[in-house]
Amino acid sequence: MTKGPENTLARQNSRGADPARRLLSAEKPGEDGFFAAIGFLLPALLVYGAFTLFPIFRTVWLSFTDSGGYNTAASFVGLDNYTALATDPIAWRALWQTVIWLVLHVVLAGGFGLVLALMIGRLRNAQVLFRAGFFLPHLVSLGVVGIIWANIYDPYFGLLNTSLDKLGLGFLQQGWLSDPTLVLFSVNLASSWQGFGLYMLLFLAGLQNIDNSLYDAADVDGATEWQKLWYVTLPGLRDVMTFVMSLALINGLKGFATVFVMTNGGPFYASELITTYIYRLAFQAQQHGKAAVLCIVLSAIAVAITVAFNRWRASGDA
Amino acid sequence: MTYFKSNASAFVAVLVAGTMLASPTIAQTLKMWGPENIANPETAELWNEIKAGFEANNPGVTVEFMPPTGTISNGAVQAAIQSDAGPDVVWTNSGIGRMTVVVDAGLVQPLTEEYKSGWSEKIFPWLDAQLKGNFNGEIYEVPDGLDALGIWYHKDMFAKNGWTFPDTYQGFLDLMQKIEESGMQPLVAAPNNTGSAGHLFGLVLQVTAGSKVMGEVVSGNLPWTDKRVVAGFTAFRNLVERGFIKPEMASLNFDAGTRLFLSERAAMFVGGPWFIALARGADYPLGNLGYTTMPSDLPGESIPTGGIGWSYMIPTSSSQPELAREWIDYLLSDEVMKLRAEHPTSSAIYPRELTDVTPATPVMLDIFKAASDGVGYNPSVYVPGSTIDTYYQVIQGLISGQVTPEDGAAQIEATMHKAQ
Amino acid sequence: MRFIRKELPIIAALTPILALVLAPFAWLIVSSFKSPREISIADPFDFPEQLMWQNYVEAWQVGGFGDLIGNSLINLVGVIALTLIVCAPGGYALAKMRFRYREWVFYLFILGLTIPIQAIVIPLYQVLQSLRLIDSLAGIILAQVSNGIPFGLFLMRSFFRSVPEELLEAARIDGASHFQILTKVMLPISQPAILALVVISALSTWNDFFLPLVVLISADVQTLPLGLVRFAGTFTSNYRLVFAGTVISFLPIVILYLITQRSFTEGLTQGALKG
Repeated sequence: MTKGPENTLARQNSRGADPARRLLSAEKPGEDGFFAAIGFLLPALLVYGAFTLFPIFRTVWLSFTDSGGYNTAASFVGLDNYTALATDPIAWRALWQTVIWLVLHVVLAGGFGLVLALMIGRLRNAQVLFRAGFFLPHLVSLGVVGIIWANIYDPYFGLLNTSLDKLGLGFLQQGWLSDPTLVLFSVNLASSWQGFGLYMLLFLAGLQNIDNSLYDAADVDGATEWQKLWYVTLPGLRDVMTFVMSLALINGLKGFATVFVMTNGGPFYASELITTYIYRLAFQAQQHGKAAVLCIVLSAIAVAITVAFNRWRASGDA
Repeated sequence: MTYFKSNASAFVAVLVAGTMLASPTIAQTLKMWGPENIANPETAELWNEIKAGFEANNPGVTVEFMPPTGTISNGAVQAAIQSDAGPDVVWTNSGIGRMTVVVDAGLVQPLTEEYKSGWSEKIFPWLDAQLKGNFNGEIYEVPDGLDALGIWYHKDMFAKNGWTFPDTYQGFLDLMQKIEESGMQPLVAAPNNTGSAGHLFGLVLQVTAGSKVMGEVVSGNLPWTDKRVVAGFTAFRNLVERGFIKPEMASLNFDAGTRLFLSERAAMFVGGPWFIALARGADYPLGNLGYTTMPSDLPGESIPTGGIGWSYMIPTSSSQPELAREWIDYLLSDEVMKLRAEHPTSSAIYPRELTDVTPATPVMLDIFKAASDGVGYNPSVYVPGSTIDTYYQVIQGLISGQVTPEDGAAQIEATMHKAQ
Repeated sequence: MRFIRKELPIIAALTPILALVLAPFAWLIVSSFKSPREISIADPFDFPEQLMWQNYVEAWQVGGFGDLIGNSLINLVGVIALTLIVCAPGGYALAKMRFRYREWVFYLFILGLTIPIQAIVIPLYQVLQSLRLIDSLAGIILAQVSNGIPFGLFLMRSFFRSVPEELLEAARIDGASHFQILTKVMLPISQPAILALVVISALSTWNDFFLPLVVLISADVQTLPLGLVRFAGTFTSNYRLVFAGTVISFLPIVILYLITQRSFTEGLTQGALKG
């Protein structure tokens, strides 16, 4: 396998990191002064403080108030919003459907990305062509993906049902977005169509970093292609795989645009996610306090996923 | 507290506007949220003419139209009012449910004084009475378009097949059975939008339960779980079970539903006078559009549902409320009303009787006639804002078979109860 | 020749999959040239009798796509430029400067790395509103930059950390200040990191739908994806225009990608894996 230009940075990193760290730790702390350093960090601190940090803490406060509407002054209501949400069947449904949504996204987008990378990684001349071709859906903005797939799924005029009809497979026609047991899968498929390209690229980069001599050694041992896949390729992709999985989970958690555009959570909440329910509560029903509780739940899941995967990665390194 | 604040800011705004009016050299821009279809060249032409008339009367004033990005139902109007670049006049979908949202949030100014000094005479007396009953005598809106939801159908298709509209609801079911057997889709439901979901549903409720009962229900005096109302829910679910509405319609949004009808793959569609504008936009031959009311077994109940569809409002954040009032006053003039009513894009019922007006689309006369006996209640515009969402979801659930009629009614009643 | 024979079965397997994955594009492009009647017949394998370029002309005018593209460009350039300006010095300070509370400052930024934007949107909206930034491109740019800062800082920091200390030491002996070291020594060798940051902020900005939906209210400040959703949903039921508008909203970026494919892929993968 040839080393592409993609690897220059990786090599620089692996060469530079250790000596640099040793040098830094040898220095005395406090050398540059707090204020000199803060000067470099000030622009970042200002923007981040106002538009991210403050809202994080403010969300926690909001969850204990009855803030709603635009002009009303919020007052402290204790745990009322928490109990209201705990007894709200739509909230539980949204939470459960978000979990299914995450799993679907990891399997459909992550899994498809991996399979494609394994196939494309074996190509030489045609690799760029397929890599670029399969990446194209990822360039479509998610809101636009919603428009495209709403049209694909239209029961009467959509690409899917009309194609099935023309191919004599009319019995397979479905109400892709109206069948409550199917809608979450359908919308997720649209999302995953947009998402898998990124994961495929990451897996391809991971494949290039696997030491070629391992394959040569396997050849010498007379390993079959499947054995090489199982004992060399997949273990070699372990780091990328944990990374892609956490990325796919976080991306899945943020899923909003396709649901919002295609079904707006319907029919009868069958595709409601935490994010769409937050939007509904915050911007349509104007129940900020209750929405804030759901925001905290969302953050907690995101943090839990990140921490869990960092632990997992760290345990692999040890 | 809220009221004090909004009144105080309105007062300051009036002061500011007053000083601005005192010096005529200052150029003023009056921003209006709307009209809805301003991107359409013909609509733009009409409104530019209206605008030019106002600007000629008020030197130094420029009127600017903001293409609406949504309604009160999805929060777009509230957000726009709150923004720095907010409109001076809002022209949007109204109805008591939506109005309650913006009035309670202190986002729109009371216009009661203006009604006392003349606007009351410029609208139907029954409309004036209805407005006065809403917010303890205070009025916050100027109704512009009244809605009258009925059944649209293809005249040639009905003539060719010998289909006619009967006088009884049972006859209506038989008609749909015939249409279904001919291979044509009888009815369109498009419940995936706020707005269009309730059109067909509200009409079925009305012809089953009667407009008086529905009026009591939407104002909260009768529960949604009343037997007569649940019978309406059951009648709607029955349409699905008999195949007159298909379960896959649960995902159709308004545009997709409209396409199904306008491409003549469905026989009937429920909509108001505004539907003419859509048919025009899709190059549908307007002469072929028929309009009728849904048959009912209750005497005198074969009437459209509707109510106030569109209104003008003045946001509390308006930087020139006086000028905004003058603009609305101008829009209420005979000159502007006649101009709009006779324009080819006209597709509204105006808030007062217009004499000597020849609408460009003849079917408008059928709508005026259907609405002349009064219109019933379209729940979408009457139920409180927080209930609307549940209302739409329940309609979807009835079509997709996720809720029973009794359950659906109970869920709407529960959110309605909470809202009050 | 041997490897070609080995590759052939893979190519044969991949080609139909690729065709299936790209079918939506083909269908949209073909549909966008159809007449209203052809669209209502809805035969996906039927080609338009004559190409309705008119659809594009009308969609462009009615949808105001010129303005939308302009807004998206301002949005993208603004986010990329500001992210670089903010994250390069910040990342340098976190990587190469020694100061008290460095770890704390770093953790403060890491806090934002995992919190989804939807989880802080209510107060974010209030902040933007009190700064009068709702319904403005400046507002959306600042919010998106802030959302990208944790990742940007992290990326720049890990790149700068990998630069050998000897390089800096030489500059220090020459009496260079931190600012000079950053601009004269570090930035010139940072193209891989900068490329990664550019590509990743561009892609996440382009894919963002939630923030524009909440922040950009008027049509004249909306970005391309949001504008298309509004265009497709304002009760026009004019599908030939919706199809043409959809093609307009993805074709430019697809062409741009195909031109810059190599460096784009490099920036994206390295940025994502190293960040």
